[in-house]
Order: sequence, then C-alpha cells, then structure tokens
Amino acid sequence: MPYNAGVTRAAAPLVTPPTHASRTAPVPPAPWTRRHLLGLGGLTPAELRTLLSRAAELAAAGGADTLHGRTVATMFFEDSTRTRTSFTLAARRMGAEVVDLSAAASSVNKGETLIDTARTIRAMGVDAAVVRTRQAGAAAMIAAALDTEGGAACSVINAGDGKHEHPTQGLLDLLTIAEAHGRLGGLDLSGLRVVIVGDVASSRVARSAVAGLRALGAESVVVGPPALCPPGLSALGCRVARDFDAELPRADAVMMLRVQFERHETCPQGEGGKVGPAERTTAIGTAREYREFFGLSAARAALMKDDAVVLHPGPTNRGLEIESDVADGPRSRILRQVTLGVPVRMAALEACILV
Amino acid sequence: MASLLIAGGRVIGSPQVGGGFAPPTDADVAMENGAIRDIGPGLSSDPADRVIDASGCLVVPGLIDPHVHLREPGGEHKETLETGGRAATAGGFTTVCCMPNTGPALDSPEMVGFIAHRAAATSACRIFTVAAATRGRRGDDVTEIGLLARAGAVGISDDGDCVASAAVMARVLAACRDAGLAFMQHCQETTMTRGASMHAGEVAARLGLTGWPRAAEEIIIERDVRLNAGIGSRYHVQHISSAGSVDIVRRARAAGRPVTAEASPHHLLLTHEACEDYDTAAKMNPPLRERADVDALRAGVADGTITVLATDHAPHAPQEKARPFEDAPFGIIGLETALPLYAEALVATGAIGWERLIELMTIEPARLCGLDRRGLGSLTVGGPGDVTVIDPEMEWTLDAACLAGMSRNTPFLGRRVRGRAVATIVGGMVRFEA
Repeated sequence: MPYNAGVTRAAAPLVTPPTHASRTAPVPPAPWTRRHLLGLGGLTPAELRTLLSRAAELAAAGGADTLHGRTVATMFFEDSTRTRTSFTLAARRMGAEVVDLSAAASSVNKGETLIDTARTIRAMGVDAAVVRTRQAGAAAMIAAALDTEGGAACSVINAGDGKHEHPTQGLLDLLTIAEAHGRLGGLDLSGLRVVIVGDVASSRVARSAVAGLRALGAESVVVGPPALCPPGLSALGCRVARDFDAELPRADAVMMLRVQFERHETCPQGEGGKVGPAERTTAIGTAREYREFFGLSAARAALMKDDAVVLHPGPTNRGLEIESDVADGPRSRILRQVTLGVPVRMAALEACILV
Repeated sequence: MASLLIAGGRVIGSPQVGGGFAPPTDADVAMENGAIRDIGPGLSSDPADRVIDASGCLVVPGLIDPHVHLREPGGEHKETLETGGRAATAGGFTTVCCMPNTGPALDSPEMVGFIAHRAAATSACRIFTVAAATRGRRGDDVTEIGLLARAGAVGISDDGDCVASAAVMARVLAACRDAGLAFMQHCQETTMTRGASMHAGEVAARLGLTGWPRAAEEIIIERDVRLNAGIGSRYHVQHISSAGSVDIVRRARAAGRPVTAEASPHHLLLTHEACEDYDTAAKMNPPLRERADVDALRAGVADGTITVLATDHAPHAPQEKARPFEDAPFGIIGLETALPLYAEALVATGAIGWERLIELMTIEPARLCGLDRRGLGSLTVGGPGDVTVIDPEMEWTLDAACLAGMSRNTPFLGRRVRGRAVATIVGGMVRFEA
C-alpha cells in the first residue's frame, strides 16, 4: 500500500462548475471534516468558502480563544521567517501555545526520517504540526503516517512542500483578491481573471492559487519564459501564455512570483551567492531579459484595468520581477496579503484542530 | 548426482537453425549429473530419483535475466547474492547478470572473480557479472575490458550512470568489440535530468516534481548508434522507456546495426500515473512514462525491435523508500514478479505468444551475454540442466509471501496475475518449487 493511501488526492476534476447562486445568497458554513490541510487541490468550493469566510470574520475580530489549551508546533525544514511568524501569531491570537521545533530539522539531517520526527512531535502531545519541507509530498506523507498509526490526533498543516503546494498562501491570495473585488459576500470569484507571472514551474504558491481560483470560479493564466512556465503546466487547470503585455489589460489581478534561484537546477553564474539576484543568469536567461519580458514595471502596470490589483507572495526581488514603484504603488496588495495571512492561518488551525 | 525427470510437459526451447526455438512439443526432459540426458516423449522414469509432473505446464530453458542489482558488495542491507539468488529462482530464473554499481564497483578482474566466488558459495542460481566500463563508474578511465572478459564478465556497462563523454564512449565501444562483449548503455543525458524524479508530464506538473524528459534517453541512443557506426560493437539499450527510443532502435536495426534493446516489466505495464500520491514504489530510472510509450514498447516487442526482457531488479530497504519522493532512491524489485507481468503485458494482450516470450527471456539474453556458448538459454541434450517449469494458467496474487529476496519495493503487490514458475531447476537441482 502506498504510504499515503487514504489521503485525499490532489487531483481535481478538470472543470469545477462555478456556483453562481452563492454570489448573492449568503454561504451557510459547510461542515469542515478534514484533520489536515495539505493542499487546495481537491478541496471543494464549499470547503474553501468555509475557511475563507471564517478567516474574514477573524480578520475583523482580530482573533478568538477557541484554541485555548492547545499546542501548535512549527516545524520548518526549510528556511522561512514570514510564514513561520504568521503561523505563530495566528496560533497565539487563537489562544494556543506555540513551540518552534524547526531545530528538529537537525535530527533529519542526522538521518532521522521525517516520519520519525513527526512521530516524536506527536508523542509530546502536540495538536497540530505546521510543516514546511523542501520535498513535494512530504506533508501528506507525514499526515498519512500519523493517521495510520493511531494514537492522539495531530493535525498537519502544510506550510509549503517543495514545489507542490502552499495552501495557506493560496487561501490568503484568494481572500485578498475577493476583498479587492468586493466578493467577500459570496466568496465567488467567477468572471475574474488572474494572471500569474514568472517562475510557475518552481512555485507551490502558483499551484495552490490555481487550484483555489479554479474551485471558486476564476480563470487563471500563467505567464513566463518556457523554462519557468512550460506548456505542461496547463495540467494544473490554467492557460499557459507567453505575452505578458497581451494579458495585462484583461487581468483583474496580477500575481507576480519570486524567481526562485534556489530551486533552479542550473544556476551557472549564480552559485555561491557571489553575485546579486539582479545579475544572476539562470534558467531565465539573464535578469535583463527576464525583466524586459516579464518584469512588472510602472509602464506595464499602466496597461492594467483601473480596479486590477497586484499581488506578490514575497519576498520580492525588487528590480527583477517587480519594480519598487509598483510594489509600493496604489495597486499593490502585497502588505494586505501579509496581513490577511494571519487570520487565514487562524481559520486553518481552528478548522483542522477542532474537526 | 541425482537424476530427475520432468514428465508430461510441453517443451519449448530446442534450438533451431536460424535462431529461434523449434515449435513446442509434448515431451519429457530427463536430467542426470547436472546436465540434460534426454528430451523426448515417453522417457522412462526408471533411473530418476525424482519425477516432476509437468502436465499442463511449459517446460522451458531456465530463465535468464541480463539486468539485476544484487547490491553485493556494499549494499547488503538491500540484497545479497544469496538472497538475490533466492529471488531469482522464485521467479523462474536460473541465471542472472548483476550490474556493477556496487560499492566498490565491479570494475576489475578481481571484483569479477569475487562475484563468481561468492555466487558459487551462496547463490541458488547462476550469477554472472556485467562489469563496469569505467573505473569506479566515474565515466573517465576505461576499465581493463579485455581482462574483464577473460575473468568472466559477460557484458560491460556503467549502469546506474550513463557513459556521458562521447570520447570515452568511443573507446569503450572499441574495447567491447575487441573483447567480444556487448556494451549495455544506461541511456540518460544527465544535464537534462538534474533534480528530476519522474516523467516530465502532466502528473509531474501537478505534483510539483521536476520532470525527466524522454529526450534525455533518446539523444543518448542516437549519439551512441552514430558513434558505433564506425566501430561495430554490439550495443545494447537497457530498460528502454520511450516511444521515440523504440523508433531509434527500430531504424538502427533496419539499417543492420548491431543494436539490441531490453524492456522491463514496469515500463510495459505502468504509466506515470502510478506516481500519484507520491508513491515511491513507482519511482524508477528511467521513469514510468505515458500510455503511448507503453503501447510503443509492446509494439516494439511484437515487431522484434525489442528482443530482450530484463527486470532491472533494484532492491531498496523500506526506510530508504519511505523518504519523500524526491529523496527516495529509484528502482523496483522484479525477479519474483516478472514472469506473470510479462505475460500480462505481452501474451494476454496478443503482442506475442508464450513461445516468443520464452525466447525473449532465455536464448535472446543468452546471446546478448554470450551465455549461449555455455549452453545456457536453450534445452539441448548434453547441455546444462537449467530448466523452468511454468504453469501458464495459474492464477495467483502477487503478495509479500511470493517475495523471496530481501526487499519489498514494488508497486505490484496485491495484483492478480496469471502464469507462474512452479519449479526452477539449476544444474539438475530443484532450487524452487511453488
């Protein structure tokens, strides 16, 4: 039996019918039945709306005390400051205690398997583990191992697994877009078009966003050079395009992705950190060429519709994929994304722990 | 030594002028002193110490697998010559050829001697060595291929790694030609597969895994066929996986080039969809590809482009395969499960019949490795008493109980299959009975 048999598979139907009715009618909270949040692929529109509407409530309320007495462990096997901090604040503002066990990553470096590490954490009586790994599928693997072994329940929240998914980032992207376009009421994004630009092949942010956008009725277009945005990405349920300028006037939101030098397999001039990001040459050709075709400059931003917004998961490579005057300009929702990340994570922790 | 009579079976495996086997006949096979004493109908059981009733069964030359990883020396926690030999006989194989990617590599006449010595002392089946093409399998210095041949190596390969340098490859091919050994290439242009863990396609895109394109295999075959044009070594493509590769081999063979290719059970049955859910049991090198590739491989077997079947038996310990997909090692075990899987992929689909399947698993790999000169791969009076009795109709389930080797890494457990080796006889000795 595969080690993760029984875990809900990320595959989703090619077309998820948009639920137009929900646009006007208030959404009744659907029951949330999952112990783990491993990805947005495979979540139903109702499940997404349950999380998002609760996140919107918590954003207004600033928190709750529903996780009082609970313990959340953050386990980041890959460096992150902002996501770990966001989860930590979210857990605390829900009344939970937080322990950071990222140092446990050192045990994995000593040869311990991820599964053994997770077992160890659960044996300490932790209610949820927030896990980030370098490898795709690792969060699901840990969740499956914890489920099949019995013992105390322990939720696994995927905080990014390799190039696969980063579901809470996807949720905060959805919430930011819904808010910017006045769709918080029904959380129906049908009719909206989101253009995702750049290093899509390496991006767990893009995979989560595309899955979530599709479920809520929005259209996704991914744009980038062939090495970062190969045609096969259409398997995610998005259109693959090359001409950024042609897509901009029709976009309701533009999501700029960070060029992830560290995930590129070939990085001939960028190894060893000897040169700055803007000078590196990698799968993108040169920074100059990348910027010319796929960088979001003020001139490009001017092609966008009046109400279209700009998102970026951060950290930004200013001067490469996005110019400072756009990142800091009126269309930018980049800091709003960071703000909404906290209530989104509150909602995710609450839903999974209290299931 | 004991004598043995295999009575009442349908015998496939009498060599025939022109290459293939003679049509099957109902006959008995008598063995004595490790060799075949007689083949014919109504043989007397009189001097036989033991009679095996083979009615309803095929009686064929002992199966030969020219591509296995037995992990000794250096990986004895995965498999040894002893446990690998058990796995082989449990699957009907009487001879296997082990690849040199051990620690240290099988790259010297001394190491070839070590394998022969250890195999004789511990293994239930015959084990021959495919020796490394370059020292330490590092792709630089060519090994002593002439001495390796004299020491008993039956092929040359850096399997697990491709000989990447064209200049080194040309020297290796010339040395193999002079030594009379086939060169067996692991076709992988590694600059295209860095960080890749599965086929470059829809599933990899969804799972967020770096893809391994077909071209990484195809361009190496093209390069080597071209290189070999002026050399004329026997050149063998290991574990062929893509439709394009089949086309390249087909064209080369049509042009009279000395090119052969082998296919593995998993590439004949599974597609990249088996990697869904990050199932590391389905992580292979080369990777499982798409339906069209599976179909092309089967067509390649049917039209004679692919002439050899090999398991690429690659055992790994559970904790190794329990790593996240990207970190888990490549490979699947195959010795115990191969025969019914080939039958499912090739015979049940009508691509070939049992007679041809047996050729692909006996005389063809024997010729590839020069084992036919030792009388292996066919049934001849006076030849070695290596015989496999197959019940082609037996329905059974591949489960852990059928695995006789040390490792369990296969996605085929639980599969309902048809056809099984019910007796495996090596040198006149019954080494396995189902």
